[in-house]
Amino acid sequence: MKLSGIGIQRLLQVSSALVIVGLLVEIVSLLWFHPLSFVLFAFVAGTLVALGVLTYLVSLVIVVTPPSD
Amino acid sequence: MIGILICQIALSVVLASVFLIRPSLTSTLGWKILAFIGLCVLPALCIVGGMNAHVQRSEQTRFCISCHVMIPYGQSLYIDDASHIPAQHFQNHRVPANMACYSCHADYGIYGPLYDKVQGLRRIYIQFVSTPPDPASIRIQGGFKNAQCLHCHLGARDFEENPVHAAMMDTLKSNQTSCLTSGCHDTAHDVASLSHQKFWKPVQ
Repeated sequence: MKLSGIGIQRLLQVSSALVIVGLLVEIVSLLWFHPLSFVLFAFVAGTLVALGVLTYLVSLVIVVTPPSD
Repeated sequence: MIGILICQIALSVVLASVFLIRPSLTSTLGWKILAFIGLCVLPALCIVGGMNAHVQRSEQTRFCISCHVMIPYGQSLYIDDASHIPAQHFQNHRVPANMACYSCHADYGIYGPLYDKVQGLRRIYIQFVSTPPDPASIRIQGGFKNAQCLHCHLGARDFEENPVHAAMMDTLKSNQTSCLTSGCHDTAHDVASLSHQKFWKPVQ
């Protein structure tokens, strides 16, 4: 599947989903008082949010070609 | 502080949910700006805030002793014997009681906090993936440095006016004479003897 064919709206949905899941994991890590909570935050929440932000930025710069009818 | 951060995260989640459900809203300039805030600025701020909260939490005494192998070290802070240096510092609030471990074991160099976090990740790996050591066999890599003591004691009147300290000040500063292992203040976290110790108050 070509990236340009995905569509900016689909990218926005993927970005939103990644950011939401990442932030929910961050909330769990903040409420969980355990040595592993930092690992959960840094490696899971941080990665998901970073991917979400990256996907959003990619959606801004990609020239989306509308699917031909 | 964590409450405010969680509110900020919740706001960010709500805003991101709008674009998950209705991505077509971003066709207008106002919503485009809101999408930039909700999917880029706020999540980034949440991560920075979360990192700050986790770093502050990792400086707390109860965080340090939440690892199983560190429990005896936490108990040793309550030993009722003034010759036990950590217990004496903790019980008399010569270090903040809620940051007792961090106060004496943090590296106060410019890259100290970063180095401490890397060391912390290594210890988490040892605790949960590798084989955790026996608590009594744990030793500080490279030995305990005088800089940790001098960070607070240097410049303190009773420390500098002490003739023993004054006579060896240069070697203390250069770490040639160790505060702990030169025979002067050599009882620190004697976890092997915990069962024979009297405690200042019931061990928590």
